[in-house]
Amino acid sequence: MTQHTQEPRFDVLWPLSRKAVTRTAAAARLPDLNDKTVCELWDVIFRGETIYPLVREYIQARFPRVKFVSYAEFGNFHGAREHQVTATIPDKLRAHKADAAIVGIGA
Amino acid sequence: MVERLGIPTASIIGSGFLKQAEVITKGLGVPLAIGVYPGAPMVDSEAELRRKVVEELAPGLLMGLTGEAPREANVATEPEAGAVILSGTFDEVQEHFHRQLWTDGLPIVPPTRARVDRFLAFTDRQPDEVLRILPQEGREASILSIAVNGVIAGCRPEYMPVLIAIIEAMCDPVYRVEDSGSTPGWEPLVIVSGPIVKELDLNFGQGMMRVGRQANTSIGRFVRMYLRNICGFRIPPGAGDKGSIGQSFLVAMAEDEDSAREIGWPTYAEDRGFAANENVVTVRSVVSITSPMYSGGDRAVTHVQQWADLIGGSFTYWAHTGFKTGLWSPLIVAGPSIAGVIAKEWTKDKVRQYLYDHIKVTAERSTHHAHMTSTPTFSFENLVTDGILPPEYAASTDPQRLLNVIINPDMVEILVAGDPGRNQSRAYMSNHVQGPPTSRRIVLPRRWTQLIGRDT
Repeated sequence: MTQHTQEPRFDVLWPLSRKAVTRTAAAARLPDLNDKTVCELWDVIFRGETIYPLVREYIQARFPRVKFVSYAEFGNFHGAREHQVTATIPDKLRAHKADAAIVGIGA
Repeated sequence: MVERLGIPTASIIGSGFLKQAEVITKGLGVPLAIGVYPGAPMVDSEAELRRKVVEELAPGLLMGLTGEAPREANVATEPEAGAVILSGTFDEVQEHFHRQLWTDGLPIVPPTRARVDRFLAFTDRQPDEVLRILPQEGREASILSIAVNGVIAGCRPEYMPVLIAIIEAMCDPVYRVEDSGSTPGWEPLVIVSGPIVKELDLNFGQGMMRVGRQANTSIGRFVRMYLRNICGFRIPPGAGDKGSIGQSFLVAMAEDEDSAREIGWPTYAEDRGFAANENVVTVRSVVSITSPMYSGGDRAVTHVQQWADLIGGSFTYWAHTGFKTGLWSPLIVAGPSIAGVIAKEWTKDKVRQYLYDHIKVTAERSTHHAHMTSTPTFSFENLVTDGILPPEYAASTDPQRLLNVIINPDMVEILVAGDPGRNQSRAYMSNHVQGPPTSRRIVLPRRWTQLIGRDT
């Protein structure tokens, strides 16, 4: 017992660092996608070539007048030219008058 | 990023990646609407994939765009940088750090103010200087954070200039530290060059890549600790590190520069554009390591032929990821005795050219490898059209055509080190554009010689 009380104590510092995150609220959602433009962004992996058409089909069945802009218009935002491609995306979204976007695939 | 533009966005995420998505979301400061793909799409049949998309993923995406906007998760209040967060015995400190996921599973050195100050004495920079806001938790890469994690990892205070240079290299956007938690589970490798190698007693000889020498081991451990604590790459029960199997941290590497000079080859740091006596750190990814490469004989070609054979055998499969991105890099650690034989006849450039010319793969085989991994749409023709690969990769449509596994001879790195008493080399493969070799000068404090006790 005596040994325990003689054990040194350590005042230790927090090992992490300050988070410097600018918080942004999510954009307002669109209850009706008819006459809206949905842009697709794809990192060209994990079978997106099959998945995106199925997603398109599903959404179009519920909102027949929705318009999709294919991922091919935006380029691969992952890999060889990740930084360059990513930098062009905001302008391309504006050019296509994007109302909404689907991004993938994290798997 | 898209959500920040005011555009409602829904993300496709595999169910195994939800915890990582949560970490990234907090680091970005933007709530994420998610459509979940259950399981792994690469192993599902066409029918199963369709079912999962129609029944689970697509409804989730649609809800993400049309339903209620996602809300930000509660953000916990955190201590100030440098704050004392616990006063306890050695065991109590260990337990607290383990529970908070602030260690790598090994005991840590308690980061007391006095210990941290001893590290800060080895730099002329201010503790609150921030090198960059690092993904994926959005934390500051401050000088103080480097010192604290250096203490925790068991480094000596005099390693501080090396630790700062390492984090500077990892902060370079080209290095892509944000990809440190990708599923291949690559590990950063630190290479230290220059006179500081001997000053800090780094092992560059026999057993150089073993845990056991303080400088090599603790500097290697520091890198993993920093990725864990500052970037947020933690394996379960934490989150953020999605290395599917992963590998342990690599101890820091150093070159046997005396041997390199003796045989007349430029040193590794000179190859990277630095002067002979500069202290330099290079950080690069390692996703795969060859078996020990033994080679014999007194002719250069015999050894390099063996390297080509063994590097080709080990790295050809994963080279498809380099083809997709236009970059991958093999690092050869040439045993001093072998390097001596080769250098009598060949320059390093001749070695590079030989490896470039002799390691081959068929287009069909590499395409198959890409299909198996993640990319059913892989096409050499598209990669050439996009300017990612040079034209020779699509010079013919013959699936049996032979392609160079090494995209460019300049991508081959060579460093002399290891056991001078044996005929062994080894090679290390980078993970394409994730963690390419990235170097920084090591800046010593003005009072360096006094501080390390070598003042005359």
